[in-house]
Amino acid sequence: MAVGILLITHEGIGSALLTVATRMLRQLPLATEALEVPFDGDPDALLPAASAALRRVDGGHGVLVLTDLYGATPSNLAAKLARLGTPVRRVSALSLPMLLRVMNYADLDLDELPRVAAAGARNGAILDDA
Amino acid sequence: MLERTLPVTNRLGLHARATAKLVQLLSGFRSSATLSARGREVNAKSIMGVMLLAAGQGAEVILRVDGEDEVAAAEAVAALFARKFDEES
Repeated sequence: MAVGILLITHEGIGSALLTVATRMLRQLPLATEALEVPFDGDPDALLPAASAALRRVDGGHGVLVLTDLYGATPSNLAAKLARLGTPVRRVSALSLPMLLRVMNYADLDLDELPRVAAAGARNGAILDDA
Repeated sequence: MLERTLPVTNRLGLHARATAKLVQLLSGFRSSATLSARGREVNAKSIMGVMLLAAGQGAEVILRVDGEDEVAAAEAVAALFARKFDEES
């Protein structure tokens, strides 16, 4: 029932978030990889590498793809990835609160995780005036 | 329902790693759990929830657990706090 997690982000973001989340949780409960897209990257040229990463994290129950910025090249690449056949759901605005919340709900299936991920990012944005 | 008052004694307070340990510990129990401090009550099984308390060293938090395994859950959480989240010797 475990969903795979693939972070598709701009350079320097996905792997850093993955490193910090792994330090905090010691071990991530879901198979997770980060794929970083160079600034001048061509989504079509990157598709094979993204597809390979998708297959590595997919345990047969689909993959939740988290992108950092909706409409940017990484999320456009994620959109192409979603059309390859493997069940994929996509959520943008990847952040540390989002990633931690997804890992905290590791037993949910692919239909439920996108909502949980989005709430993680929303609830993590706090007007810190205290 | 069980209630325990727990002092936060580790130097960094309920920061991210300590919170993650607490949440991971509680996820192994079926009981529901909340923590409250300064009038705010949060789900103790949520990392961001617990971090919202911003409970630093010297703070006291109130743990409430409710469910079939509440005694064991409360004991385990109290022990984790007493061990300073395994951060300090």
